[in-house]
Amino acid sequence: MVVRIRLSRFGNRHQPFYNIVVAQARSARDSKPLEVIGTFNPIPQRPTNLSEQEARRAKAYKEISLDRSRARYWLGVGAQPSDSVWKLMTLVRLPLLRRRLSISTTVTDDDCEIITTRLTHCC
Amino acid sequence: MAPRIQNQVVSNTLLPYLSSSSTSTCLPRLSTSSSQALAYSPRSSCRSFSSSVAPQTRQRREMFQWLSGPGARFKNHVPGETNYLTARKTPDGKLLRTSRPFIDNQQYRSEPILSVDLQNEIYDRVVKHKKSVRAVSVELDVDMRRVAAVVRLMELQKKMTDEGKSLALPYGRAIHEMLEKTEYEHGVGASRSHENINDLPSHRLTHPQIFYPVSESRQFNRVDAGRVFSGAPALEHEEVARNAVDPYAAVTRVTHKPSAIEMVGKGDEEHQVLQPADTRIPHPHLVAKERDSLNHPEETYANRKVYNERLRAEEKAQEDRRLKAEERRAKRMLRVQPEDSRFEFRIQDVVVSRETTGKNGRGAAAPGRRYGVPANDRKKGEVKIPTRVVV
Repeated sequence: MVVRIRLSRFGNRHQPFYNIVVAQARSARDSKPLEVIGTFNPIPQRPTNLSEQEARRAKAYKEISLDRSRARYWLGVGAQPSDSVWKLMTLVRLPLLRRRLSISTTVTDDDCEIITTRLTHCC
Repeated sequence: MAPRIQNQVVSNTLLPYLSSSSTSTCLPRLSTSSSQALAYSPRSSCRSFSSSVAPQTRQRREMFQWLSGPGARFKNHVPGETNYLTARKTPDGKLLRTSRPFIDNQQYRSEPILSVDLQNEIYDRVVKHKKSVRAVSVELDVDMRRVAAVVRLMELQKKMTDEGKSLALPYGRAIHEMLEKTEYEHGVGASRSHENINDLPSHRLTHPQIFYPVSESRQFNRVDAGRVFSGAPALEHEEVARNAVDPYAAVTRVTHKPSAIEMVGKGDEEHQVLQPADTRIPHPHLVAKERDSLNHPEETYANRKVYNERLRAEEKAQEDRRLKAEERRAKRMLRVQPEDSRFEFRIQDVVVSRETTGKNGRGAAAPGRRYGVPANDRKKGEVKIPTRVVV
């Protein structure tokens, strides 16, 4: 059975919060996973404690926490990230992700860049 | 059936004695004899929307008696003096003002506030002359936290003025007129010491009473007491001797590098050894300064030089620590700003391991929300606001 890296929803109504989990593909979304390797808070946070000029320029941010070495490990043993986790992982720039992409779909490095930018575009 | 709304004068019966006109219509004037009778008659009700009789209670009558009698002098305040009920008349007719606002709590005294001049002076020294908060606090005898608050509030005020927002100036003026103030004059200084700047809140570890026998031949000081309170073994003799030779060096070893404080206890019970008050007070260098001036009373210039050097070293250590912490935080945090995204992504590195997740996988140090642990955040009686202040 396929092992996937995907999001599992926590939080209350209108307050989503996701655990980035490694789980069997056919298991329920919020069931107990094999491992929790990070979190993703999709609600944009306003940066605080800034001077006025900084505050004007500052963008709202979304928080991601990820154990990169565990993510790399799970990718190495064939875990498949879901689309949304893929988008997050392209931001983290995991080297294995690029290699796996180029090997599996035989795309060039330039193509990989294009795909990466397209994915970040969706975020 | 009688009409529910009677043909009586409807007026504001609330706070009758605060406006001069309101007394004329329906509330009884207690000074005149005719209205005295009115006050007792059952038809004296002013409650126009109610047909039931509401006679004056005794307490209400006494309140109005007091308001028009001895209480009348509190109606308007005298600028520059407090207007508390505890003020009393001296035999020669003068009113003696006090700083105690509550009649039944004679122990409570209202503390003086900073005058506008002193606030401006603090702001100038910190922002224009680039002095440290610590130095300004010592110079003007104002707590470091208050100095920082004054600077922040004045910044805010300036910002509001620049934006064209209106300030509650009459309110501020009235408050400044009615409270005691610490004044400041250029060239002269503050009118008094505003507050104690080296105060220390009592530490949780010092609350239990411990019976700890010590032999008479042994010196037992604050360092030892702190170790006893935190359950740490006594210091080595060499270290005790080293601390005794240069007490300020012992203090700076901790204040310059708080991470070097010894830890005791195991697991969740692990905590820092309680440091002596000499180390924990906001301005430990003041104690060293006093010690120097007692040991070498004639070397004023040298003492001041050493003091300034210590102050600079303390500030530098603090700044270094701040920068290092920022660097460490930045190292753990990757910031990505995709070109066409409205958002920045902050990616933090976390560790998933046996140490963080624990044996049952529920360790609090591991990332992510827990499984199988109920979230009690909506439970009845769950307190969400902070219940303690970390000083």
